[in-house]
Amino acid sequence: MKKTMKKTLGPVIGAALALALPFILRNGFDWNYGVQLACFFLLYAIAVSGLDILFGYAGQISLGHAAFFAIGAYGSVMLHQYANIPVFFSMIIAAAFATVVGAALAYPASKLVFHFLSLATIAFGEVVYQFVSQSPGSITGNFTGMFTQTVSLFGYKLNSFTKYYYFALAAAVILLVIKRNMIKSRVGRALIAIRENSHAAEGMGVNVRKYKIIAFAVSAFYTAYAGALYAHLVRYISPDTFAYKQSVMFMTMLLFGGTASIAGPMSGVLAVQALNECLRSAETYQMLIYGILLLTVIVVMPGGISGVVRDVAARIRYRKSGAAAAGDKKEEVDDHADN
Amino acid sequence: MLLQILISGLVIGSIYGLIALGYSLIYRSSGLMSFMQGDLLTVGAFLGYTFYGVMHIPFFISLILVIVIVFMIGFGVEKGVISILVKKGVLPIYTILATIAISYILQNGSMLIFGSDMKGYPQIFKIPYITIFGRSFQTEAILCIGASLLLMLVFSFFMNHTSIGTSMRASAMDPMAARACGIDVGLATGLSWAISAGIAAFAGMLIGPVYGVYTTLGAVIGRKGFSSAVIGGFGNMTGAIVGGLLLGVIETLLSAYISSAYKDMIAYALLLVFLFVKPTGLFNERAIAD
Amino acid sequence: MLTTEHLTLKFGGLTANNDISLTINDGKITGLIGPNGAGKTTFFNAISGVYPPTSGTVTFDGVRIERKRPHEINELGITRTYQVINLFRKMSVVENVMVGMHDRLTQNFFQSIFKVGSERREEKEARERAYEWLKFVGLEKRASDLAGSLSYGEQRQLEIVRGLASNPKLILLDEPAAGMNSTEKEELNTLMGRILEKGVTIMLIEHDMKLVMNVTDYIYVLNYGKLLAQGTPAEVQNNPDVIAAYLGGD
Repeated sequence: MKKTMKKTLGPVIGAALALALPFILRNGFDWNYGVQLACFFLLYAIAVSGLDILFGYAGQISLGHAAFFAIGAYGSVMLHQYANIPVFFSMIIAAAFATVVGAALAYPASKLVFHFLSLATIAFGEVVYQFVSQSPGSITGNFTGMFTQTVSLFGYKLNSFTKYYYFALAAAVILLVIKRNMIKSRVGRALIAIRENSHAAEGMGVNVRKYKIIAFAVSAFYTAYAGALYAHLVRYISPDTFAYKQSVMFMTMLLFGGTASIAGPMSGVLAVQALNECLRSAETYQMLIYGILLLTVIVVMPGGISGVVRDVAARIRYRKSGAAAAGDKKEEVDDHADN
Repeated sequence: MLLQILISGLVIGSIYGLIALGYSLIYRSSGLMSFMQGDLLTVGAFLGYTFYGVMHIPFFISLILVIVIVFMIGFGVEKGVISILVKKGVLPIYTILATIAISYILQNGSMLIFGSDMKGYPQIFKIPYITIFGRSFQTEAILCIGASLLLMLVFSFFMNHTSIGTSMRASAMDPMAARACGIDVGLATGLSWAISAGIAAFAGMLIGPVYGVYTTLGAVIGRKGFSSAVIGGFGNMTGAIVGGLLLGVIETLLSAYISSAYKDMIAYALLLVFLFVKPTGLFNERAIAD
Repeated sequence: MLTTEHLTLKFGGLTANNDISLTINDGKITGLIGPNGAGKTTFFNAISGVYPPTSGTVTFDGVRIERKRPHEINELGITRTYQVINLFRKMSVVENVMVGMHDRLTQNFFQSIFKVGSERREEKEARERAYEWLKFVGLEKRASDLAGSLSYGEQRQLEIVRGLASNPKLILLDEPAAGMNSTEKEELNTLMGRILEKGVTIMLIEHDMKLVMNVTDYIYVLNYGKLLAQGTPAEVQNNPDVIAAYLGGD
């Protein structure tokens, strides 16, 4: 009984907070910029959740995910600008295109072992970056970049950060529910099995190649859609945003927050965003501090933030009931399994 | 014209080769990938500029100083970060990210210490240009090719014909057996990271006079170095060098005769092609497919 | 049920399996024994699709399977366990078994991500069936625990039921008794009998001679990649070549 209550209370409070956030930030703290940050939080959360599907669950490393971010952003902007497709649809089509590209990349890449997959994804990221910065006929605007408009839903323009926030929130909720559904299904089990032991997975009837392709494709969709959200939020894109640094940042956000969970990517995004905002004033030192912090986190906290939270929570629970220790341990494991 | 292009290609190719050599050495000895090589090159170039260009220490002494300093940085990183992570048994992604983090520190640190403008090396040789077949080439460029090849020969001799080199190869092949033979595997691993770092710094001091020194000098070279290593067969020392020279020449040729816009893409496209089609590289190094 | 003809598997210069022709019969336990390095696990790898044979054929229930991939072979009804335990350590015990059923479940990707009614139902049934399999070996109390937290013997048992979960026709057991004490080996002996009762044929690699002689109906002996001898346990036990291979020269 207590556990069920705990389980529903958390999400209910979370939902209320999420819905009321823009008003809390603007009216409560007089912080309009905070709403814009919240929009960024949502789209990065989607992007990193996508990477989590590929890396956290299927165990395939990608240091080139900025490429999908770019395909989503540039794809949507170009479809809107050159083919006059309404933004709402151009975003989805661009993400679908990224899915196809992801699958195409995964087909040969699925044979590669760890380190070499990382090289392949880096190379892929660089190829896309080169393409958007030096496109034939300058269709991507090259280094000048491209301007675009925000989303328009049946004539209703999302011309404020608050309005965009709710749009992004809806997208995030839908995509996160899908992620959760996927994890708790036979598809999710297949991915985790591949991560844990791909030989045994294959022996148990999992078509490893097919599922690696699925993982790449789905992951690409998420990050690409996030890219499109980015493009129409900022309404200006240029190659600089989609360089190798961005891929590293996605992976950093994922590892900071913790892999293979719903909450992990979100806490990672939050932490890194907070860090970036703090360092905004010390821009010349930004990379240095970032590097030092990243290094420290890696050496000290490999489980990421949610790993630390899980450990602390487990320790508290374990101390609370010494007699029922065995039962509690099972509950802790249940939480593991539920994530 | 063709000769000019070839020489240009060999100049940058020899640098790619040196970086790739470092990658293969580290991969052979630790089974890991280090993403710091490029920025170690930058550090080497900056330090060299400081010693030779600013403090007017003779070039070859500057070179030795730089190599020693960066050698120690490499050793320190292996002992202070890498072996700790390996001992902890963390997932390889964390060690990769750790090297990336260090590369950020090196890059930004260089910028803060040395400034973000491009530095030029003063002339090294009394003769500014060498003439080959009627064409003039910057002497420093020829030095680049010559010194790289010399280093590769020295390195090959060191690895195959000295006891330290042999211990390093043994530690890489089978750490437990090596330990049983009394080899200090920890020292050998540290040395391989240190030597890779030293090679990168050496490369920096060679390319600095030719290209000028700036913060992102090594970053792109570092990434293309991976291509060279894969082309030659990752982990294969000779392959690294051949791969590097090949990449340098192909890149320069294509850029001169077809289009310079996609010059950088060539390296990555080749990397992908090799990974997907011939992952063992030109020299058929142990298979890297699953 | 399964026949190999002139099966040969070479790795570069090394011939791991050399011209092996054998038959596994329905409803029996067939043993594969031999000194270390004889090529037994390699043989399992060859017939389960991990390594394509260099030459020769493998026929299972009339279908040629030597060029098929492991998951396709699993679909046809062959499953296996591994010499080194290959569980999915960070998944729960019951989920490990559910992966074993992967190919028998029918929900596709889109049904899964939208959690349609049929998917929910199938998942529930699958979980119940997996739980039944756990009961088969007495692991049902540990259903939600992480597979990595089980004891060694329990892990071996889990690997076996994970293999059985797909209702195979043939299960290949690779040294299932390794590291077990005598009580656990007794339980394994009984378990194999119960597996046979369920209509699953077994092929067994084992080093424990007492267990092998006790439980198998027919034995093949490998040495240096070649078939050295074959026969009933009694015949093999008294075969001088077999005795020499185990005692001499090793």
